[in-house]
Amino acid sequence: MSSMRTVWRIAMREIREHGRSKSFLITTVVTFLLVAALVILPGLIGGGPAEYTVGSVGEGNEPIVTAAEQLGNASDEPDAEPSVSIELQEFENQGAAEAVMDEGELDAILIDGSEVVVESVGGFGESDLLSLLQQAAASVELEAVVAEGGQAAADVIEVMTSDPLETTTLSGPEAGDETRGAVAYAGLLLLYMAVLLYGNWMLAGVTEEKSNRVVEVLLSSVKPWQILAGKIIGIGSLGISQFAGTILVAFLAVNLTGAIELPSLDVVAVANLILWFILGFLLFAVMYGAAGSLVSRMEDAQNVAFPMSMIAVAGFFVSIAALGDPDGTVAVVGTFIPFTAPFVVPVRAALGAIPAWQYIAAVVLTIATIVGLVLVAGRIYAGGLLRFGSRVKLREAWRSAET
Amino acid sequence: MLALKDLHKRYDEVVALAGCTLQVDRGRMLGFLGPNGAGKTTAMRTIFGLVAPDSGEVTWDGGPIGIEQKRRFGYMPEQRGLYPKMRAQEQLAYLGRLRGMDAKPASASADTWLERLGLAERRMDRVEVLSHGNQQRVQLAAALVHDPDLLVMDEPFSGLDPIATETMAEILREEAERGKAVVFSSHQLDLVEDICEEVAIINAGQIVVEGDVRELKDAAPIRHLEVELDGEVGDLFDGLEGVRQIRSDDHMHTAIIDSGTDVRGFLSRAQEIGQLRHFAYTTPSLSALFREAVK
Repeated sequence: MSSMRTVWRIAMREIREHGRSKSFLITTVVTFLLVAALVILPGLIGGGPAEYTVGSVGEGNEPIVTAAEQLGNASDEPDAEPSVSIELQEFENQGAAEAVMDEGELDAILIDGSEVVVESVGGFGESDLLSLLQQAAASVELEAVVAEGGQAAADVIEVMTSDPLETTTLSGPEAGDETRGAVAYAGLLLLYMAVLLYGNWMLAGVTEEKSNRVVEVLLSSVKPWQILAGKIIGIGSLGISQFAGTILVAFLAVNLTGAIELPSLDVVAVANLILWFILGFLLFAVMYGAAGSLVSRMEDAQNVAFPMSMIAVAGFFVSIAALGDPDGTVAVVGTFIPFTAPFVVPVRAALGAIPAWQYIAAVVLTIATIVGLVLVAGRIYAGGLLRFGSRVKLREAWRSAET
Repeated sequence: MLALKDLHKRYDEVVALAGCTLQVDRGRMLGFLGPNGAGKTTAMRTIFGLVAPDSGEVTWDGGPIGIEQKRRFGYMPEQRGLYPKMRAQEQLAYLGRLRGMDAKPASASADTWLERLGLAERRMDRVEVLSHGNQQRVQLAAALVHDPDLLVMDEPFSGLDPIATETMAEILREEAERGKAVVFSSHQLDLVEDICEEVAIINAGQIVVEGDVRELKDAAPIRHLEVELDGEVGDLFDGLEGVRQIRSDDHMHTAIIDSGTDVRGFLSRAQEIGQLRHFAYTTPSLSALFREAVK
């Protein structure tokens, strides 16, 4: 039997045993639901048109409401459903209106175009209406002052509500940079969680084999590197299918609800994420695997993995910095450090802020580091596996595998 | 044939093996004995490359042991180890496949062994829910599932009840009869004496006694003489040459005497004293040999 067949059989066991474990199935379902909810819910809660009912007592309230609607819808796309609509309801006197407001049927009461009554200031959603009415009243007054007819007032309102400075972005004329940033951030978050999650599976899997001593049976007929490789391939394949599934669910949810405007399912962006997921996972899985071989008890595993987790956290923060300033020094340096590259490079790439040569250099450097780590970690793993009891020192593990 | 040649291994200050030499032929079963810390487990681990000796070599059929050879070996480590969450049958089939078996034969062999060991009903149980004794049985099956040429078992009898012990002994004997080389370590010397033709005793990293159990006992310089009488023993033992030690307990008298001592006439003299209840003239037990060897 060839070496690779052995590796394959070990990988298949990992896939089968992990894949049908309750914890895997539950995390998969929960992750999918969570991602779908994160995409869909904001659209349901905040995205719909705001509808208000305002009580009117006396004269002069109608122009304010009309202006408020104009103000509120000023930034809408043409032909789109208006984002603010206000219904005006007439009352004989303030008392009658307040009685209706007490029942919760009114959001505000305008009196003679000069006074506004609300339930409280600062309640969720109400202050939006209040400030809208205030601005509208101001513009109505402005209109009266200018006394130049509707057009001039409309011009003033137009000036007041539009951004006075035209914005141009250096990287290109598209207006989608903000969404791209959000997508890059979401991708980064997923990547970071996935690398840590599956890295910890490696750690737990290796330590488990050592703590229940099955490793001695395995090693009587299999080489240490074959176990390590089989585990990485098995857990990696499970991880990548869960990761890709999560991205797919996110894209489906986005496209179904139109919650975020995306050009389309961007193949390059997804490929970018998956490539760096694989590189990042390999890099950390090898380290976590070696760390797991040094301890015999699960309780010690987290301690021995602490440095790796810190590296991942550091990479995460560097890439947050890169998100804010994708061309900055931190981002560029992070690109060339293989331990931060898996987090930084996909972010810069998603923002379109990385030169091709840097991208390629980062991939090559990271792969080279993985190869180097496999050699070092493989030996530590082989040396650590059969030393039971207290935590094995790195040097001991290295030396005992010398033959 | 398995051969360990002049193995040396030291861990810092501790000497685990100091020139250990041993061999086991196909079709033979060797009981590997020795006090705690004598080097039994270390010696067994060197067979699988789990411990690298400082010097000396381990060979199988005269050649070095590589991964291909090890796949034809079965090993039961001192510390039992299985995947607790895996089902018994699938675990055995997996271990068979790791040693190169195809899926179907591995699965069939796993079932055969589970049936043989009385675990057919529990084949789809996770190992962690099985009782200690049943886990031991699965562990034995794990060493046998791929029908190995060499069986190396570290303390296979420890923790087994008498019935399980009998099954284990029967299986080991059968495997040896089927032409396998079998070596196992144990502290249960009576059991070893019962089932093994050959033993090797290791002490402080060296083999101090090795050979056929019967020959070893015959060659021992002492014999045991036991007499149980109704009457007073008096000067009965005075007539014997080479008495090394006498222990008397009520009517039971046990003497350790030189193997060359002439005991003819002793029985009739004993019968003159009183009613004879028990008489035995035996070679020393394996336990006695063992105690002598590791003294």
